[in-house]
Amino acid sequence: MAVLTADMVAGLAATGASCRVDESMASRFSVGDHIVVRNINPPGHTRLPRYVRGKRGVVDRDHGVFIYPDTSAHGQGEKPQHVYSVRFTPRELWGDTASDRDSLYIDLWDDYMDPKV
Amino acid sequence: MNGVHDLGGMHGMGPINPEANEPVFHDDWERRVFAVTIATFGAGNYNVDEFRHGIERMGAANYLSTSYYEHWLHMVETLMIENGSISRDELNAEQAKLAKEAA
Repeated sequence: MAVLTADMVAGLAATGASCRVDESMASRFSVGDHIVVRNINPPGHTRLPRYVRGKRGVVDRDHGVFIYPDTSAHGQGEKPQHVYSVRFTPRELWGDTASDRDSLYIDLWDDYMDPKV
Repeated sequence: MNGVHDLGGMHGMGPINPEANEPVFHDDWERRVFAVTIATFGAGNYNVDEFRHGIERMGAANYLSTSYYEHWLHMVETLMIENGSISRDELNAEQAKLAKEAA
């Protein structure tokens, strides 16, 4: 069992154990790109909620490079990739009776999205 | 996994009632679960994605009927048994000992 020692605490408290990866790599998407979320249903861990799968959104911001949860949760490596804030309309997510004045932003990994064709 | 933890868009879950002056911990056991979690996580016994998946793998009915820090406790027990740090027998024995002391 790995043990937490006093000298490790300051670093842990300062970073909050961030999953940001300090390396640059090409992003598949740019701000303003129209995307479609992949309809994936993995039996393991994912941070892709069901309610955005198959939905169309617009890339609003590129957060940088992060560890990919779907592999990291299963000892399959960090597979670092870009994470984006993606904007969805409530009507895209919930249909014609939803608000037409709001936006929903959700952080999505590169592997969760395809370009909208 | 399409588990019950993925609550977005679900109806019938009841109102969200934030507590006025909510304390950081509602009871001393919550403080201890927080400490055990940070100590085991911070030392590198599991990563944050294994942490989240450890909670997702709770049974659906159990997940919905237990509190936030009960989820954390379930996760710590599950992952520390799976990575071989403790055994199920050791955990059961300690729990029995504590229950006896508290009786």
